[in-house]
Amino acid sequence: MSDNLQHEDRLFELLAQQADEAGSERAPSRLKAKLYTSLVQKQQESGRLLTLAESRANGHGLCVFEDLWSDLTSAEAAQSFNCCSVCHARVLAEHWEAVPIYWGHCPYVAFGKK
Amino acid sequence: MPAQRAGETNAKSDYINQMNQGLGTCQAKESSAGTNQLSDQDLVAEVLRKDRKATAEFVARYANHVYGYVRRRLIPRADFVDDLVQEIFIAAWENLEKFRGDAPLRSWLLGIARHKVEDHYRKRLREIQLQDEEESAWDEPASFHELEEAIAKRKAGQRTQEILKTLPETYSVILLWRYWEKRSLRDIAVQIGKTEKGVERMLARARQQFKKRWYERQSPARG
Repeated sequence: MSDNLQHEDRLFELLAQQADEAGSERAPSRLKAKLYTSLVQKQQESGRLLTLAESRANGHGLCVFEDLWSDLTSAEAAQSFNCCSVCHARVLAEHWEAVPIYWGHCPYVAFGKK
Repeated sequence: MPAQRAGETNAKSDYINQMNQGLGTCQAKESSAGTNQLSDQDLVAEVLRKDRKATAEFVARYANHVYGYVRRRLIPRADFVDDLVQEIFIAAWENLEKFRGDAPLRSWLLGIARHKVEDHYRKRLREIQLQDEEESAWDEPASFHELEEAIAKRKAGQRTQEILKTLPETYSVILLWRYWEKRSLRDIAVQIGKTEKGVERMLARARQQFKKRWYERQSPARG
């Protein structure tokens, strides 16, 4: 390889390095919401989700809707139901950035937070 | 992979139990920041158990890293970014059982992302044909002092990204693949079914067009 070519290769390697360091963008909350929805859908394809009660026992907080659902139902199938699939927070979060919903422990709300 | 999981509950429970025994507990740990944060292995174990809350944490924790990487690697085609990030996370879920914790989960995910990005490059370089008219003659300067100076002052990053956006896609892809992903000419040639010489010529034209744009963009400021 000629000296010129080596020099030029080195220049471009440095450009690549500096361009990579030139700031990183956050993923839009809209995209995070869609990622979460598709992952949970994929998880459901191979069987039931962990129940809400088990999630709570693992130390995770439930949102107001999940809390209500968890208290009203006891069957495992119902407990494993993905409440988010019928929740307006999911629909809004998948289409807009930082939706004005403030429920605690709602993943779709959390994705919009800085 | 997920289809196999239905009958693997016991095996998975054993795996999780082993992990829990090895790590002591599956409970949330107190991080140095004072917030509860699961370790990578605990998080993976919980996602594999299909704990939706852990899955949300998985997305919240790693989406920015993966998105940032893909966005920088797909500079000329931002319209592909969301779909590719989605593919990466689905592939991660489908292979999550293979995560052993030898490297951080972030690195493991970026490894998947790198494969997906290279698949994208391969596909694009095979699909797109460079338009000859996009190339124009240019009297290359004898030295690239200004370019070198910008690099030395660490001020070249932003402008490099802007120029990559304006290059024909073939050129930006070949530059990204060679210098950002650090792939050899031979590797690229094999992947796209061209000769090494052919790739070298393409790369030389790409570098020249990049430099041309660098100097064109600089001209008004100098005048």
